[in-house]
Amino acid sequence: MVKYIIKRLGLSVLILLGVSLIIYILVRSMPVDFIENKIAAMNQGGAVIPEETVQNMKELYGLEDNSFLGILKGYGNWLAKICQFDFGTSFKYGSPVIDVIRDHMGVSFAVAFIATIFEFMIAIPLGITAATHQYSFRDYLVTVLVMIGISLPAFFFGQVLKDLFANKLGWFPPSGLVDATQSYTGIALFLDYLKHMFIPVLTVVILSIGARMRMTRTNMLEVLNSDYIRTARAKGLKEHKVIYKHAFRNTLIPLVTSLAGLLPSLFSGAIITEQVFDLPGIGNIAYKAMIEADIPFIMGYNMFLALLSVLGVLLADLMYAVVDPRVKLG
Amino acid sequence: MDHQNKKPLAPETPDLENAVSVEDTEPLDKNIRLMSPGRMVMRRFFRSKLSVVGLVMIISLFLFCWAGPLVFNTWGETTQDTTGKVEYTQQEVKYTVNGEEFSFVQVVETGKEINSLAKPDDQHILGTDKNGRDVFTRLMYGGRISLMVSFIAVFAITLFGIVFGGIAGYFGGVIDNMIMRICDILMCLPGFPILLIIGTLLDSAGVESQHRIYYLMAYLTLFSWPGTARLVRGQILSLREQEYMVAAEAMGYSVPRKIFKHLIPNVMPQLIVSMTLSLGSMILYEASLSYLNMGVRAPYAAWGTMINIVAEDPNILQNYFNVWGPPGICIIIAVLGFNFVGDGLRDALDPKMRR
Repeated sequence: MVKYIIKRLGLSVLILLGVSLIIYILVRSMPVDFIENKIAAMNQGGAVIPEETVQNMKELYGLEDNSFLGILKGYGNWLAKICQFDFGTSFKYGSPVIDVIRDHMGVSFAVAFIATIFEFMIAIPLGITAATHQYSFRDYLVTVLVMIGISLPAFFFGQVLKDLFANKLGWFPPSGLVDATQSYTGIALFLDYLKHMFIPVLTVVILSIGARMRMTRTNMLEVLNSDYIRTARAKGLKEHKVIYKHAFRNTLIPLVTSLAGLLPSLFSGAIITEQVFDLPGIGNIAYKAMIEADIPFIMGYNMFLALLSVLGVLLADLMYAVVDPRVKLG
Repeated sequence: MDHQNKKPLAPETPDLENAVSVEDTEPLDKNIRLMSPGRMVMRRFFRSKLSVVGLVMIISLFLFCWAGPLVFNTWGETTQDTTGKVEYTQQEVKYTVNGEEFSFVQVVETGKEINSLAKPDDQHILGTDKNGRDVFTRLMYGGRISLMVSFIAVFAITLFGIVFGGIAGYFGGVIDNMIMRICDILMCLPGFPILLIIGTLLDSAGVESQHRIYYLMAYLTLFSWPGTARLVRGQILSLREQEYMVAAEAMGYSVPRKIFKHLIPNVMPQLIVSMTLSLGSMILYEASLSYLNMGVRAPYAAWGTMINIVAEDPNILQNYFNVWGPPGICIIIAVLGFNFVGDGLRDALDPKMRR
């Protein structure tokens, strides 16, 4: 087990190295040069920046050489700094990348966390009823409804909900995280947050219920067809007990495993949803940074995402061995 | 053999009917229905109502997008309606005379050059957008792009997946290890952020706005084949140990023939299902890119691009559902259709599911 984990961790480091190299090369070949934008803005303000200063600034940011070798050198420098846990300073936001990520992760995490709880609470019972009543009207109804949910484009459905709940009904604020006209504190502020998060959470829940429900249904069906369930029924156990005590436990195996796989989606933020509702989450922040070629932040953010997904896969595999004694890692 | 199906071959008392048609009575085959696997799959597929509904949805969307512009050819994809229109706006004007307040309603007449944001009428079935372009026509042209691009991408992904997955699974060892590590790396790349970066790269390369989406989808393909490759590899790893592969080996077939003629066809069922389902997600991907103004850009149409306007103009979001609603509904129909068909195919192709 320990040997397996060490091997996997070593592989993960290799994967992360590969990912970072690809992203760095891509980012460095981005045409939107942050320095040039900045200088253009300064020039417009009336100040004339001498060429020397421009070069100095580029050197300061490590962007002076844009040939292939130069990029590789830049990558080396970046890597050396990473080893000292220094992710650099964001060009756009002016503070260390880690701080920016930490400050904005909360919102994304809150939305994703609340949405995930609701997703499981709704999807699992739906999946179980659909499986126990396979091919019935109920099964078809649930399947069709969640399939529609899967098929909705986030940006479109978000706008529809926004139009309905915020503009037509006026129950919830359309965008942002706080009411700028009020200065709430304490519980009132917390409630205000929740109020602003309602529509985004609703959007995410409806979009993601489908996958979870179908997963539950498939697993439940598989378990219900197994021999020990027939034995349980033959013993004369109540149907309720058969399903919730015997079958459901084994259905939980893949569900618990998939919890670990949720790690990236909990922290990474949803770019489009946050964009639609103008939430100051990490996805939205990253989108803005990406448009302006804020290299340290893009690198930091993308590596953060890659790290999360590597960890997610590893955790899911480990979890599988923990939950299901039949699985052996090797 | 199942002897219930057997009819007595020689009845003791020959009756008239049997005596006449001796050559028609085929003793065994008559009662055993022989069906090719393909027909069995078709039958199982068409028995499920959902998959038929999905198929109808997709076929009608294709007809709408490709045959539609032939019928409704009054407006082109990018033509603006310059017939102009006169707009009346009401305004309440208040004034005071000798301390008493009066008011009257002033009607302002403004002539516009472009017939923009027209309500649906018989000229424009779904009205016009902000720049006076016909929404209904753009819906058809936009659909062409969305559907075509997703099809190309899915086929390319499958092709890459089959080749690399097949090679990795068949040869194993070092080659397998190398290909799988590349897959690991590509699978860990955050998809959407990378596409945003590539979107800006395309800007600087001066790619024309109607071609951008093809480049983007090419990159998407480059990053998405590992999923398919893993599926193919996993299947081939188990298939290559089977007896018929030993037979193929004994016959001295070449390696490409063994991989692509004997192994890959056995992976096809799973591949077809995953292709259909990923068609839906590709459409969503394309639409999201266009929505973020990374893909197809105005004046050209794509479903995502047509919804994009809402983000800039809250007035359209609130008052002109006819501009941004229809493309969204089209996206849903397309994705839902592919999901239904994919689901139906999965059930139909699974030999365990005999119902």
